[in-house]
Amino acid sequence: MLFRPGALVAATMLFGLPASAEEIVRISGWGGSEVAIVNGLLTNVLAEKLAEEGIRVKYEPVDGDYSQFIINGLSAGTAPDLFYVDTFWARSVFSAGQAAPVTNDVSGFAANLLTAFTYDGKLYSTPKDFNTLAIHFNKDIFDDAGVGYPSDDDTWTTLQEKLVAVNKSLPEVDGLCVVPEYARFGAFALSTGWSPFDARGKTVLDKRFRRAFDFYTGLVKSGAAVMAADAGHSWTGGCLASERAAVAIEGAWILSALRDSAPNMNLGTVRMPKDPESSKRGNIVFSVGWTVNAASKVSKAAAKVAELLTTEEAQQWVLEQGLALPSRTSLNDNPWLRGGQPEQIASRVVLEGLSDDHVMPYFFGDVGGSWMQPINAALNSVILGEEDANTALLSAQSAFDRMLAK
Amino acid sequence: MMASMPAAEVSPSRRRLPAGALRRRQLAASAWVYLAFLAVATIMAGTFVLAFIASLKVDPLERPFRIYFDQLNPAAWVAAARLGREGAGDALWGGLAPGANVHFSVTYAAPADARIVEPRAEIPRRRPGSGIAAALMRHYAADYASIALRSSSSATKQARDKRGIRQGWQARTFVYEITYRSDRHNGPWIERTPVNLTAPTSQTLIDSPISPSRSERRGRLLSWDNITPGALGLIFNNYRRVISETADLQTGKSLIGSWLGNSLAIATGRLVLTLVVASLAGYALARLKFRGSRLLFAAALFSMTIPAQVTFASNYLIFRDLSLLNTPWSVIVVFVASANVLLMKQFFEGFPREIEEAAIVDGANRFQVFCKIVLPNAKPALLVNAILAFQGAWNDFFWPLVLITSPPEALTIQVGLLSLRRSFGGVQGDWGLVLAGAFISIVPVVILFVLFQRHIVSTEFAKGTT
Repeated sequence: MLFRPGALVAATMLFGLPASAEEIVRISGWGGSEVAIVNGLLTNVLAEKLAEEGIRVKYEPVDGDYSQFIINGLSAGTAPDLFYVDTFWARSVFSAGQAAPVTNDVSGFAANLLTAFTYDGKLYSTPKDFNTLAIHFNKDIFDDAGVGYPSDDDTWTTLQEKLVAVNKSLPEVDGLCVVPEYARFGAFALSTGWSPFDARGKTVLDKRFRRAFDFYTGLVKSGAAVMAADAGHSWTGGCLASERAAVAIEGAWILSALRDSAPNMNLGTVRMPKDPESSKRGNIVFSVGWTVNAASKVSKAAAKVAELLTTEEAQQWVLEQGLALPSRTSLNDNPWLRGGQPEQIASRVVLEGLSDDHVMPYFFGDVGGSWMQPINAALNSVILGEEDANTALLSAQSAFDRMLAK
Repeated sequence: MMASMPAAEVSPSRRRLPAGALRRRQLAASAWVYLAFLAVATIMAGTFVLAFIASLKVDPLERPFRIYFDQLNPAAWVAAARLGREGAGDALWGGLAPGANVHFSVTYAAPADARIVEPRAEIPRRRPGSGIAAALMRHYAADYASIALRSSSSATKQARDKRGIRQGWQARTFVYEITYRSDRHNGPWIERTPVNLTAPTSQTLIDSPISPSRSERRGRLLSWDNITPGALGLIFNNYRRVISETADLQTGKSLIGSWLGNSLAIATGRLVLTLVVASLAGYALARLKFRGSRLLFAAALFSMTIPAQVTFASNYLIFRDLSLLNTPWSVIVVFVASANVLLMKQFFEGFPREIEEAAIVDGANRFQVFCKIVLPNAKPALLVNAILAFQGAWNDFFWPLVLITSPPEALTIQVGLLSLRRSFGGVQGDWGLVLAGAFISIVPVVILFVLFQRHIVSTEFAKGTT
């Protein structure tokens, strides 16, 4: 066949015209397991629809400090057109007028995911997915130790007894790796009925908080746990993956980490233990939302991409890949969630965490993530034995009083 | 006057040694000095060598640290080459391709009173959990390959039990055959062939062509990430992964390649700019007498005391307003030239003034003197400046981190390494890949030093700095 440059130019012009009308939407989110989710959606599920809308998506995952990346980018005018915001720092973006309100119908989303994304009565982010905490455990360790598996009926006390028994039977294994962070401890505090903010908007570290605090910080002393850092890990899932600990308190995000570091683990997942006094469960909801950059030149197209990324069809694909949990309530009955595979069970349990007795979003109003600092400092100093609980909690209470004095 | 003392009365420490003993003592002293130097060199180079060894390992953090493992074991290289050839006809890089017929043998041992059972073998569908590999992986060996036990044989081996007592253990060797399924003969080439073997903990694996990647389920399950690696695929698996698993999702191009290219462009740009500015400014400060020259010199000196972080915000805003953020130009021009200027000034001040005056008498103007007389003679100082500027730009972390944040392919190698650390090193614990990336990042600077080491270590360096 002869090469005909003229024909090629004509064809290029003909087919090239619609391409030139394309709107390019830059989107970004964090790296890690998120890359597979977003890229999979864009290439496997939404490619045709995006083409129909005349939108080309340029996806830029960020492996660095994501919040810093976005906040710097928004200040400098280099932020992408569509990006994630996490519930606990979303307010700083909304209050600075850097996000465009979401105008889509969001009636299909779980109501308790929308709280943190609402500011001044307007919704500024479309919930992408969510997570709650659950107890993930290594069945082989419990089998070898001759200790019964953790169960949905466990209270703090019975779970602690099981963890101590595991450590006694298998000294090389610890029950749990604890981290001195509200992001894990908070679920225990909430189960007592304590709330981060009382009716006057103050944080009061009352007797209920103290009970949960004493339990959590006492896990190490009782032999049920070890500090994660002392075990050479930065999170509870790292200890579980390396078979150093029998259980981990994490969300469904642990599944992607286990695929890399312990792909064959005989994994079990149950709900968070109940407070033995109140017989209630507490949990924290972690969520991320798609947010349109208010300064974007293609904000309409960006909003359309956000809408497509969170449609029921898209979320069903994400769910069935075992990648994340949907934010749309209609997918709660999806058949995939009733399966018996460890990943399906873990996802189901994490989904059920949304309807625990005392569930709060990982969100601290206008104060933002710094609200957690006094509690984290108190947990750390008591677990390390640097201070007693009385002193540490007095300091924390003073810090909250100062922080919320306005 | 002191009377001479008989030799017998001289204290032993002051007595002259026989020549042979003196020679031995000198040799011993030399040997100790030599060993001391060797020890220092080993400690200095040893950390580097250990880090490189660790970068080859599946788990660089393993404790205790071993220096004898498959990636450094010639027997494993030979086995990996055979497995790669049987898997895809490629003894170097291996894989699994249509027509593959791989034989993989494992030997388990157990005390005489225990029974050795056949391990349950499977080719798992191993999905990467994170990073770009999770998004890019399309083909899984589990969809195309089958595994079956081909033969087994028994033997007795001498082994030590837990108490260290030698006794005869029974051993059984199982040979598995992994084949590319005949009904999928048009299937793709697949990079990795993972295998899982599950057996009771009462029996121990004592031999396999290549070692398992990890032991899971408290010793019940042995897991190989890839049994058809090929020799180079086995040794440089982390290096292969850091190139293939850091790819741009849109173009498929390796990100680490882009990062190296960006660093090279930025370092070269900064080198050129440094040479131009430093030589012109250094010459002006050394030779030209103008109002405020002393003040300018003092300002240049003072500017060396200001950390980059102090000027970060103002520089950032200027680059934002010039629309230079996220471009290499911002990092090229945001350099502190004071040190380089002073280096050149010092050199020019030492340059004989008479030569310049002779040129001026011959009719040359100041710029001609600079270009045609001074600069050609300033090669040592220029070379030192160039090397320092290149190395400084290559290793710079702060400014690229602040000024270039997106897209991912626009980063420099040093910031890219941070991205690798966050993506693979944190909760994933995949430090082998991060270390491999770090070693790739030093290659250009090592090449630079190898090429110019003669100039760096010779007296030329002294000429430039004094």
